[in-house]
Amino acid sequence: MKSWISFLLPEDEYKEKKLLYFISEGATIVILYLIVMFIMSNFFQISAKPTIVIAICIFGFYVFSRYILSGIEYTDIATKVDYKKQLRVTRIKSIGFVVLFLSLQVLFVNFPTNLNEWVDIIGMSVSGGVVLFIFEYISLKRSYEKNKDLIE
Amino acid sequence: MKNNVKIIRMNASITQEELARKVGVTRQTIGLIEKGKYNPSLQLCISIAKELNKTLDELFWEVDAE
Repeated sequence: MKSWISFLLPEDEYKEKKLLYFISEGATIVILYLIVMFIMSNFFQISAKPTIVIAICIFGFYVFSRYILSGIEYTDIATKVDYKKQLRVTRIKSIGFVVLFLSLQVLFVNFPTNLNEWVDIIGMSVSGGVVLFIFEYISLKRSYEKNKDLIE
Repeated sequence: MKNNVKIIRMNASITQEELARKVGVTRQTIGLIEKGKYNPSLQLCISIAKELNKTLDELFWEVDAE
């Protein structure tokens, strides 16, 4: 079955079906949220901008969380060896992110002129790297837990 | 859904990975089908049957033991 959203979906039919469920669930939650906000707007002063931003965040956070918790990202990680190997890759990827983000910030956005600015930029880069690592780690762990029961 | 995919695949000496690659899905999907945790589409059932040289009945039809 083809649709205009097909280009965003994975080739694998199980992953595709799961992702479609997550997107539908996210969309349903956003519709419910918007209905509640619409009713509340009769009683309170509600500005449109934050309401829309929150709706987008709810959708994004929901779909993303369901995706990483479902264990469908790393479909081939089923043994301890593969898991450890992928964990190393994840660590390197996170460190790479920190280095790249820091370099781009320093070179193209704002070159720090004092210690506080350096601390800010390094702190932001490291925080980004840590968050990335946590998400990747959860997804990897869930995938491994799911796959090891399915092996051979 | 109960099925005989795992037994037939192992008898044919094909790994999950090989079968997955041949039918265009992930190894996880094959594992889920074998465990009966995912019901594949008819198209995927046919692809698996063709790869394993079996009929759909042989792979997926459940017969109750008398």
